[in-house]
Amino acid sequence: MKKVYFSLCLICCATLLSGCATQVKEVPLDRTASTTRIEPQDIRRTVEKMVESLLVAPGVKEAVGGRRPVLDVEPMKNRTMQHIDMISLTESVRMQLLRSGMFRFVDRSSIGTAATDVERINQENQLGLVDSSKAVKAGQQTALDMYLTGTLSEIKNVDGRTTDQYYKFSMFLKDLKTGELVWADEQEIRKESTKPVINW
Amino acid sequence: MKISKSMITVAIVAAGLAGLSGCKNTSGTIVKTDHLTGASTIITENARLAHRVAVTKTTYDEVNGLKRVHITLASDRNKVLRVDYRICWFDANGMEIDPQTKTYRNLIIEGHDGVTVTGVANSPAAVSSKVRVRETSQAE
Repeated sequence: MKKVYFSLCLICCATLLSGCATQVKEVPLDRTASTTRIEPQDIRRTVEKMVESLLVAPGVKEAVGGRRPVLDVEPMKNRTMQHIDMISLTESVRMQLLRSGMFRFVDRSSIGTAATDVERINQENQLGLVDSSKAVKAGQQTALDMYLTGTLSEIKNVDGRTTDQYYKFSMFLKDLKTGELVWADEQEIRKESTKPVINW
Repeated sequence: MKISKSMITVAIVAAGLAGLSGCKNTSGTIVKTDHLTGASTIITENARLAHRVAVTKTTYDEVNGLKRVHITLASDRNKVLRVDYRICWFDANGMEIDPQTKTYRNLIIEGHDGVTVTGVANSPAAVSSKVRVRETSQAE
């Protein structure tokens, strides 16, 4: 009988000790919701939905009209109480639109803006560091035709142990020449969590 | 203290249940559509899911030079059914186009209701699509 108890104790100890080790594993990008906050899968789904909506919109087809207009994607505004990397979201939208081949892109939002680039070119020319006949001259950069931007807003309601969180991503595409809104769409997400009666 | 047979049985059953709870069946229903020929194939990998949700209609069209697929899913349950679906696209060589950009989207179907989901190709090179449906509870 002592042997049985000894074995059981040994198994228990081994089980407890195995639980102490930190476990690291790769997981799928699209997981089920675990919090009411904005999660990576929410961002990915929103980007996919918005890009699909934009690419098939009749207004966009009309505005594009067989050419490839020059587009800039400006960082979306975060109107929620959470810290969300909106630049990352914006970059994902730009990357997927770029791959579609429907638009050409300029990037005014990131480091190395047009003004900085021109200043650097001028400095290099003045110092004689580059061949002046091959040097890029100012005033040749492509002008914008359209820009894409949007907002993320939230409504949060707490009722006892239940938290109800609603998010709305809104995006729109504006034609700079006419000032018209060529496309706009929304993606809504609603999550609910209930705290357990006994919470450790 | 005497360890009775019933205690051992209970322990074995508990261990078995604990082990089984970790087994998740992530297979589902697949709908393959060839947008050049119009041929559509439904592959059922998960009998449990197939009893709960059925693919009732598959249509396709083209918008702004991009292929688009519509799949209608109908629930056979009385309760709300939660499933995930992912629509991926393949070129003429059968290579998946930008697999990272196509995500599993969640879908809530009311009892005995049908919902049509739509997917748009992320490239004009896409010629065939694959819709994969899985149970949300089985997602990691």
